[in-house]
Amino acid sequence: MNTIPQPSTGSLVLSFVFSIILASIILVIAVLPAEYNIDPTGLGEKMGLTVLAKVVDTTAKANIVDCSDVDALSNKSVSQWNNTVSITIPAHKGLEYKFYIDKGEAFEFVWKTNGTKLYFDFHGEPQGDTTGYFKSFKESTDNQSSGTLSVPFTGSHGWYWENKSNQAVVVNLKTRGSYRILGLR
Amino acid sequence: MSPIQKIFPFVIGIFLLTFNFSCFAHGVDSNTENFLTSTQGSAIGPFLYIGAKHMVTGYDHLLFLIGVIFFLFRVRDILIYVSLFTLGHSLTLLLGVFGHINMNVYLIDAIIAFSIIYKGFDNLGGLKKIFGFQPNTKIAVLFFGLFHGFGLATKLQDFSLPQDHLITNMLAFNVGVEIGQCISLLFIVTLLGFWRRHSSYLSFSSSANTLLMTGGFVLLGYQLTGYFNTSL
Repeated sequence: MNTIPQPSTGSLVLSFVFSIILASIILVIAVLPAEYNIDPTGLGEKMGLTVLAKVVDTTAKANIVDCSDVDALSNKSVSQWNNTVSITIPAHKGLEYKFYIDKGEAFEFVWKTNGTKLYFDFHGEPQGDTTGYFKSFKESTDNQSSGTLSVPFTGSHGWYWENKSNQAVVVNLKTRGSYRILGLR
Repeated sequence: MSPIQKIFPFVIGIFLLTFNFSCFAHGVDSNTENFLTSTQGSAIGPFLYIGAKHMVTGYDHLLFLIGVIFFLFRVRDILIYVSLFTLGHSLTLLLGVFGHINMNVYLIDAIIAFSIIYKGFDNLGGLKKIFGFQPNTKIAVLFFGLFHGFGLATKLQDFSLPQDHLITNMLAFNVGVEIGQCISLLFIVTLLGFWRRHSSYLSFSSSANTLLMTGGFVLLGYQLTGYFNTSL
């Protein structure tokens, strides 16, 4: 460590101040607009950087609106569901049930088991994607779930359920919206 | 050709083969996140890879490492300092995950950003000049290594990892981090090695460390803005 140059106080202060100023410029005109949509100079907007932060906003909105009262929802609109399906998940097995839905559609759903909790991942895969990418909307362990998904991209959307119990579990799934059933995967 | 020149194309080759440049972002990307949240049981291979990728694409860890080895000219010194850093971040990675210590990800990343500024300023000789003494650099690298490890632990815990096979997966991740660190270091040491032969190295060392501090300040501003933005 003997090779560390011995600087003057002046050059140190200069280095310090210079690095803060340069960092501030980078932050204000590029990082903050792109990451947080904070754009005091307006340059981020001009360079199209704020688009990046807005993308995050729309995906956040794509999250599921959870309905707290499942029964109220299913009773109220029991006749209006487009499809009702019972899916049997064998003990210690997992399977997927998917729908093909266009971007922007509202996809309403409610599903229940006979009481046994299942691990599930509600997710979507963009159409034509071959990389194996998927986006999770909700991932949890429960015996029911319901809500409305504002579909963020065209492709196949649905659930992966995994039954960790020793007995087969039946999932009763009701759906409404504009979609094509792809079914079990 | 020197050994470094012989190994250089090989290192680049490995780097290109192993890592996709399009995912040069820090943190854990959405694919990895999906894997982490959906994985059940032990998965040594994937966790090794995620650990290595996190390190190779983790610009905050890399900037700090560049700062640490900037004035280390002997391989032995590099090994000592890197081992201390490894010891530090491994301790807190395992402690953080097993102890369920979950810190605010922005604040911990802000501390990591501060470690870069600290090291840059230290390399400029600023600590000795301004404060009259330079804290032991070995203790400093160990100390900041602890925070880097908490950063790793906090990010992993955000994905509510399954408790079964947690130890196996965590150890695989940790080993992956060290593999990634070795790959990154090969790269950094090789590039710095080329530059060091030129007289410009010492004359530009001030500029280089000023830029290192700049990077630290950018990350600090980025993380603190994130912190105040999300907690409001």
